[in-house]
Amino acid sequence: MAISTDEVRQMIVDALPGAEVEVIDETGTEDHLRATVSAPQFSGLSRIEQHKLVKKAVQSRFDDGSIHALSIRTTVPV
Amino acid sequence: MTMEPSLKDRVEELIRENKVLLFMKGNPEQPRCGFSLRVVNVLESYGVEYGAIDVLPALQPLREVTAEISDWQTFPQLYVNGELVGGCDIVEEMDESGELATLLGVEKPERPAPSAKQELQADNPQQSPPIQIER
Repeated sequence: MAISTDEVRQMIVDALPGAEVEVIDETGTEDHLRATVSAPQFSGLSRIEQHKLVKKAVQSRFDDGSIHALSIRTTVPV
Repeated sequence: MTMEPSLKDRVEELIRENKVLLFMKGNPEQPRCGFSLRVVNVLESYGVEYGAIDVLPALQPLREVTAEISDWQTFPQLYVNGELVGGCDIVEEMDESGELATLLGVEKPERPAPSAKQELQADNPQQSPPIQIER
């Protein structure tokens, strides 16, 4: 199973309104993805808490096997 | 009546007792996952003492326990001062930014560009006891 980068991007934006999100397919197989997320909701959170917010947004697609790996990079917008 | 401590109790104790503790696949001498290897390389470059637990012999139970304790169930997981810092992405990011040095209370090491100091040796499986602490 696989998932489009657009779909992952949309799931993250839906969970974190106002976020700037870029999702790339690292392997060309649509299951090892890299997400770069800048979201106002991250303000004041530790990195692991920021990652949890992103992970939770797409957890359902981990659970169904669509995504095997998601590498995450988070920043707080200035 | 004596109660065996639960796996969760044991894990919580290990997190409490080791200032720097890494849950990883394999062990520092022989990581069995590229992400675990990368975290080991970062830690080794700081020269800090750390405990390492090979999660492979009890992968699913440890996933469940860390999900309960820290709401995180993928490995590697690095704990410093009793708190989950993160996995490979976060550790590398905090290494680059200097935050990891601050957290560990040491100077950021000067070093050449990161390179894998050892190859993943998946063809040489090594059985370890369920929880192994190395210092």
